[in-house]
Amino acid sequence: MLALLFLLFAALAVGCALAMVAQRNPLYSAISLIGVFVSLACLYIMLAAPFIAAVQVIVYAGAIMVLVVFVIMLLNVEVEERRTGRLKFLVPAAVVLAFVLFAEVAFILASMQEFYVTPASASANVGVTHSIGTALFTQYLLPFEITSILLLMAIVGAMTLARRGGLLSPNARVIPGAQQLPLSIVDASVGIEDTRAVETDTTDEAARLLGYERLRDESERE
Amino acid sequence: MKQRGCSDTSACATSQSENNEMEPQLSWYLALSAVLFTIGVTGVIIKRNIIAMFMCIELMLNSVNLTFVAFSSFFQDVTGQLFVFIVMTVAAAEAAVGLGIIIAIFRNRESLDVDEASILKL
Repeated sequence: MLALLFLLFAALAVGCALAMVAQRNPLYSAISLIGVFVSLACLYIMLAAPFIAAVQVIVYAGAIMVLVVFVIMLLNVEVEERRTGRLKFLVPAAVVLAFVLFAEVAFILASMQEFYVTPASASANVGVTHSIGTALFTQYLLPFEITSILLLMAIVGAMTLARRGGLLSPNARVIPGAQQLPLSIVDASVGIEDTRAVETDTTDEAARLLGYERLRDESERE
Repeated sequence: MKQRGCSDTSACATSQSENNEMEPQLSWYLALSAVLFTIGVTGVIIKRNIIAMFMCIELMLNSVNLTFVAFSSFFQDVTGQLFVFIVMTVAAAEAAVGLGIIIAIFRNRESLDVDEASILKL
């Protein structure tokens, strides 16, 4: 029974992975990848790791794939065109390397049968949240803290990479406090083609240049 | 050691040695992980779209996670699952930064083809 379930989920995972590579539309690839993640989560449950299975679905199939699909839709990705005739000399090398890999897998399958180890059954408490949390906050506290620093760096890096660099667009709405403003926003006589910028030191000066101070006074007067 | 975690008799009976062939072995999971990793490597090599390559990298990370969880479950040690947790965090960070890079490349080149982004200058 468990073997049948394993074969079902393994076939689902491999089939979805092959479909992901074979698809040329990135959106269909992303949906196939979600199938891989879900079938891997089922395999984690079979391995008596319910916490990891839940995190797999939430983080991978949820957060990361939503991010990927969002970027795919944001960038209006075109369907990849097929190109042939490249890297012809690598085909024999690929065949040899694939043969080596299958030989390795066959060796593992043949030799590992001697080491029979029992998987953790459902009543074992290896994969439950309690044991993972206990180990994570005692023995492996340092990797946990390093991971938090890594996440902070990722946040800062993603914001730095994804924001528009250089001068602002003339049509951009500029909030007070911005340190660099296009000259065309401040001075209407300058055309929008002029990409020079004025620099302000303080928020008050930026607000004054933008006319926010005057607007605020008018609203207070009313 | 062999019968650890068997509380009821029916679960113990199915893990007796005469029924070994019907239980998924550790090597099955390792073979599945190797196959998934190979598919991921193949995708990274043959794909031209940078987002598709990114997703193939995610597939490779997941296959390694499967190895971790399989070893952790079969050897009754929680350490492997902790490292899966950390790998997932790294994958989330990688997704954020990688997609930021993809957006920056698309803004500068109006294309997601890796062959057109071969010069490392944005």
